[in-house]
Amino acid sequence: MMLEAHIQLHQGSFALQAVFRAPQGITVLFGPSGSGKSSILAALAGLKHMQGHVRLGGRDLQGLAPCRRGVGLVFQDARLFPHLSVRANIAYAWSRAPRHVVPSPDDIARFFDIAAQLDRPVTNLSGGEQSRVALARAVAAAPDFLLLDEPFAALDGVRRRAFIHVLLELHRAYGLSMLVVTHNIEDAAALASHLVALCQGRVVVQGRLSDVARDARFQALLDPRDVGAAIPANLLYSDHTPSEQALWLRADHVLLAAEAPRAISARNVLAGEIATIAREKNGSYLIELATSAGTVLSRLTGAAVRELELTQGKRAWALIKAHSV
Amino acid sequence: MTPAEAEVLFTSLYVAALAVAGSLPLAVVVAFALSRPRLPGRLALDGLVHLPVILPPVLVGFLLLILLGRRGPLGSWLDQAFGIHFAFTAKGAALATAVMTFPLFVRSIRLAFEAADTRLFEAAALLRAGPLDRFFTIALPLAWPGILAGAVMAFAAAMGEFGAVITFAGNIPGQTQTLPLAIYAALQQPGGEAQAWRLAAASLTVALTGLGGAELLQRWARGRLTG
Repeated sequence: MMLEAHIQLHQGSFALQAVFRAPQGITVLFGPSGSGKSSILAALAGLKHMQGHVRLGGRDLQGLAPCRRGVGLVFQDARLFPHLSVRANIAYAWSRAPRHVVPSPDDIARFFDIAAQLDRPVTNLSGGEQSRVALARAVAAAPDFLLLDEPFAALDGVRRRAFIHVLLELHRAYGLSMLVVTHNIEDAAALASHLVALCQGRVVVQGRLSDVARDARFQALLDPRDVGAAIPANLLYSDHTPSEQALWLRADHVLLAAEAPRAISARNVLAGEIATIAREKNGSYLIELATSAGTVLSRLTGAAVRELELTQGKRAWALIKAHSV
Repeated sequence: MTPAEAEVLFTSLYVAALAVAGSLPLAVVVAFALSRPRLPGRLALDGLVHLPVILPPVLVGFLLLILLGRRGPLGSWLDQAFGIHFAFTAKGAALATAVMTFPLFVRSIRLAFEAADTRLFEAAALLRAGPLDRFFTIALPLAWPGILAGAVMAFAAAMGEFGAVITFAGNIPGQTQTLPLAIYAALQQPGGEAQAWRLAAASLTVALTGLGGAELLQRWARGRLTG
């Protein structure tokens, strides 16, 4: 279901004016801390007073109470009901859902891999378990659209990837559209079919991930070490089924070879043509390589660029270590 | 303890229990309303609730008598429509006690509502729970240890109510004579000190048991919520 928003709100001296749309699929709301991401979610959910309008599948949500919007929100801090068990938390949402996409709370628990925790009190769950229960509970309410506020904040690397996998599965299995807030570029790339980049309360750029990622206005938002490119990838997790998603390749993690490399350990070698060579403020160079898998960015020193005699239009090979992604 | 003294203790327990049980629903609603920071007219309501604290108890009893006496505007209507009398009855003693203990009762329940995490109401709202739904399924269950403790505390305070009760309900043995009223009556008679002491001991025992019980209940309930 498509969400269209035109949000205007003021918080002290901070003014937020965001116009964006989140089409069917997973949209990532990306931006540095303090750019207004959480305020946008609160406004969409009806928890914060705003001006403008919010449309969900053509229905105007502005002025509706949060309980009547049909919008779910997974908070960063889970907000599970402490007087209820895991099962009762999920049942709370399930019993209020106007329809059931999933047959029972137990099926929901199985989907989110928390069936073993169903009878436990929520007060002694780990951070990862709490995040899953919060997500399961939000899905049990059968929202038309799901908002997630930094859902990975409490999770470590492995759990983070597993949670991303669950969100992708959730969209695939139930067609649930989502708007996910994050300031982590890898999470954003792994999830987004559509990306909305926010800075100081304004939408800087929005569109398909592959288009936005190449936009200079988007790259300017990134920490210099995060500068890179999104490429479609088919990842094989040791503990999951294969998952098609985009990967964020940091420019610092990509080596370039001027000749076809032979007998090396890097598993991923992409051949391409140098599209641009840009000098950065600190004297290093960003090389844009157009490959069959998409554009790849590599950051090299001036000495390396001269030594390899890299020029625009020249053929080159990008080497990516599998562990760096 | 003589049978007459046991009757006084029983009257006291009855009046206090009736006062607390009767005022509980209103106390919960008023306390919840006062715990909402954006409630219109909150200050006025807060002032009204606290009126019995700043007025002399005898005056409160007198005002009740004016309002609910047989010839009072509300009293005569209750008499004609339902045949209910408050003045100089045990029910009246309970009503006067309830009015006097109401501020304390509301305050402790309000603290319990204010201590509940309001972010949980937002979470419930986004799971499609409406305002009344959220009140019964989130606010009340989270606040109930405080409500229970408040009720026990109000009960202990109700056992000691004097001025408003004697003015509105009189000092009728077997009907409205509660412990403090009986102690007062005993002290008015020559040689009544021994009886007064026995009644005072009974009063103290009930009050301390109540306070201790409230503390234990609250600890147990908090333990359940925090795991």
